[in-house]
Amino acid sequence: MAPDADTYTFLCPPSKEEQEQEPVYRAPSHYNPRSTFNLPSGAGRHYQQQYGDMYFMRLARLKPSVEQVATDAWDGLIIAGEKVRRVDRVLDVRQGELCWVAGTVYMDLPMKPNILDDLSKENFTSAPPPRRTYTDPSDPSLTQIMMEDESGRLRLTGNFLRSTQLATGAIIAALGTENANGDFEVIDIKLPDLAPQSQRWEGNAPESGLEIAGKEHGKIAFVSGLGITGTSSDTLTLELLTDYLLGYTGFSGDDKNSPSSSPSKITRLIIAGNSLGASVIADVASATASNGVAKKAQPKKYGYDASAYNASPVTQLDNFLAEILPSIPVTLMPGEKDPANFSLPQQSIHRAMFPRARAYAAPPPKADEKLEAGWFDSVTNPWEGDVEGWRLWGCSGQNVDDVLRYITIEGGDSSPDRETDSDARIRIMEAMLRWRCGVPTAPDTIWSYPYQTDDPYVIESCPHIFFAGNQPQFKTATIEGDVPLRLDGDIDMMDAADGPDAPRVRLLALPKFSETGELILVDTETLEVEVVRFEVFKGQEEQK
Amino acid sequence: MDSKLYLAENVLNERRPVTYRSLSRALKVHANRAKHLLFEFHRSENAKKPQTVHATYVISGFQKAPEPAPTNGHADDEDETMQSSPYLPSSMPNQDTDSASIRTAFIVLVREEDLEDAKATFQSISTIHVYSLEPTALPDLNALVDANREIAITHAQEDPLECGKQWGMIQNRNVKRRTGARPPPAAAPAAKVPAAKASKPSTESTVPAKRPFQKEVSAKTENTKSEEPKSEPSSAANSQTSSKPSSKTAPAKKGSLFSSFAKAKPKAKAPTLAEPATTSASEDVVLDDASEEEAEELFPNSTDTAAAAAAAAANREARKEREERLKKMMDDDEDEADDEEMPDVDEEPREPTPVEQPPPSKPAELKEEVTVQGGRRRGKRQVMKKKTVKDEEGYLVTREEATWESFSEDEPAPKKKPVNVPKAKAPKAAGQGNIMSFFGKK
Repeated sequence: MAPDADTYTFLCPPSKEEQEQEPVYRAPSHYNPRSTFNLPSGAGRHYQQQYGDMYFMRLARLKPSVEQVATDAWDGLIIAGEKVRRVDRVLDVRQGELCWVAGTVYMDLPMKPNILDDLSKENFTSAPPPRRTYTDPSDPSLTQIMMEDESGRLRLTGNFLRSTQLATGAIIAALGTENANGDFEVIDIKLPDLAPQSQRWEGNAPESGLEIAGKEHGKIAFVSGLGITGTSSDTLTLELLTDYLLGYTGFSGDDKNSPSSSPSKITRLIIAGNSLGASVIADVASATASNGVAKKAQPKKYGYDASAYNASPVTQLDNFLAEILPSIPVTLMPGEKDPANFSLPQQSIHRAMFPRARAYAAPPPKADEKLEAGWFDSVTNPWEGDVEGWRLWGCSGQNVDDVLRYITIEGGDSSPDRETDSDARIRIMEAMLRWRCGVPTAPDTIWSYPYQTDDPYVIESCPHIFFAGNQPQFKTATIEGDVPLRLDGDIDMMDAADGPDAPRVRLLALPKFSETGELILVDTETLEVEVVRFEVFKGQEEQK
Repeated sequence: MDSKLYLAENVLNERRPVTYRSLSRALKVHANRAKHLLFEFHRSENAKKPQTVHATYVISGFQKAPEPAPTNGHADDEDETMQSSPYLPSSMPNQDTDSASIRTAFIVLVREEDLEDAKATFQSISTIHVYSLEPTALPDLNALVDANREIAITHAQEDPLECGKQWGMIQNRNVKRRTGARPPPAAAPAAKVPAAKASKPSTESTVPAKRPFQKEVSAKTENTKSEEPKSEPSSAANSQTSSKPSSKTAPAKKGSLFSSFAKAKPKAKAPTLAEPATTSASEDVVLDDASEEEAEELFPNSTDTAAAAAAAAANREARKEREERLKKMMDDDEDEADDEEMPDVDEEPREPTPVEQPPPSKPAELKEEVTVQGGRRRGKRQVMKKKTVKDEEGYLVTREEATWESFSEDEPAPKKKPVNVPKAKAPKAAGQGNIMSFFGKK
């Protein structure tokens, strides 16, 4: 039964004397998280504000950019003998006049949850029921796209919109005329496009003691949707992942086929949400019932039954983290199913959840001291930060999932096949970058903290790696920004036609590990992507 | 330890799966060496007798492009070439056409009977190694997870930062861990069992701790009463046993009466000084147990932590003092016994020292009813009262009558009270005060 091949290193008896194995050292990680999405704590966090401020701030921040783009493209443009005119406010659009105007997109969709409906029905839902889409594919006419600014609202129509996908909250400039119905016939649209991108290491160069070895390729590992349920059924691949990350298993270093797959190259693991699978208040009732233990109903305190709490998933996650942390630094983002607040930005999972792993976390911050990034860094969702000099912007996937509901996927009435679906998802991610807004549909259809003085979802500085967790399938793409030829731009890249200064973003749609067993590795020098997939071979035993 | 011995013991005898990591940790060898050891054991055992040991392997490498594996992956996934995206106006054509295919490395766990099938799906194999050995083919490979979780529990005390090198873990020079916060023992999943286990040693440790002290105390009490050396080490039956020698040696006249009180008195006093309700009750439990069987005293001792604590709390001086007061009271008792109650008659027949029956005069008729309300004892007791009435002939006649009088806890407890109380109180108080009974029930 034993495999014949002695060619494999480990399929031979051990050598007589135990030779000292050379310890392998992991490359250091340069890490600088940003606190863009940290909410004020305690009394500083208010929920009384109106959400309108967020839209106002977003428009105020992005309107200059989009108007700049639009001016460049449309200034002096003459269509059918008529000169295109710029209109400052939506309300100033005159009927029959060719003009362009910038504003916020608002989409009214038949299936979209509407707070006014809830109020009028005196029916306060605790959470919007999950819907695959807000659109009604059978009747596209029910979808209304509008543009609004402080002054008013303008309905957009036209064939051009059919080929364009928009979502509520995006800031655009539209060119067209108002028709007899009072609708705005759109003939072209401009987006803010990619935000200015900083160079690698810009502003966060490592300390002089650490050299930036250009030839030394490191890896940033991404994983998402670990889906730990605490039962043994889901964790065999997790064990393999642990073994791999710790260097116990995997590729031998001298293999020419995989010079870069050695796990010692991985400098940091980023966990993008949904680390826990089952709800923590799992089927305890059924479990106890099956045990035959007739549990006396304890009196519930404040409606909370402590005995129904299933700590096992969190415990297993803690064990997993505590096992890999001695070797690899970890950035943990919460996700939809994780024990954090539900509305974006989700705040970091509290370290009290991780009695073992928290030893590696940063100590609790003193009164007004700046928080130092810990070896184990529990961060917000979405999250922004610098890893190995690259700017990362990522979300656990809620943003992409929600924008997808605004979009009618062509060809897919009910269940689009995986390829078009993941295609659409990566396109949405691209669109977000070009909208310069990471979570455009917040606060409309994604619950959000009511920011008042700022809209942090606006992407001020274009990231190098833009990732979204918990997608059904792994997908990646690289996009490049338009290299502006204008000389008066606020972007400092006028000299390069297609030089290295053009914004270049690696998009990553991270799959759910619990379903695919995939770990995504991104090269720190080239931003090339590799996948390591862990699985259990379904052999004869299962096929019986 | 010899690896063969370890493997034979675990795989063949105990029929447990052994993974290379559990072997590595158990024998404190490098993970790569553990893989060799597993391989060798597998080969040698199956050479002796086929099918005795079953193995699972881990293959790492790159699978063939057409994806022959039963899982529907996407090994041939490529970077999407994004032509004019529908979101974009035509003036932004700068889509990167990054056509380099994404390499997907595979790390696959496979049973030995599937090994060849699995290998066939690979285009190039980087490594194969034995992942685990188990006595028979596992119907469900997830059993291996439990084996690995066991590692986490049994080796939780080993600091991964120190032992990692030995196991072959990738080292990290920059690891930051807060000092002083050693990860707690990873017993979380099995919290109940270790908790029960842990509590046992702790109570056991308290027992020896208090034992000598109580011995001392009892010796002290002996000394105050008489110079008779005592061999009984029992602390719970302190007064019980002390009564025996004292009955023999004490002065004849009051000795019998005193010693019979000695049983009840210290216990009656202790509550009033320190912990009124629970201690008296629990001490009574002890007393009962001790009276039943001397040999059992260790058990109530170890269980009665509350009683132990109370006993330990009462210092020797207090004891001595009490003895003194007791003696005084005994003297007074003779005179004004009408107002005081004598030790409970109900208890008397059960006492193992029937020799020293108290004078059975008045107390025999006195009764007491005790109810417990909200932790407070209220009740009625029968008291002898002097009553003076004018009889039909005009003489004043003074009589003693038994009357009922209500009392509550606040009043100075009559000395016999605790002796009686356990009947109403013992079960509840024992349940509260005794932490061992909490664990014992589960």
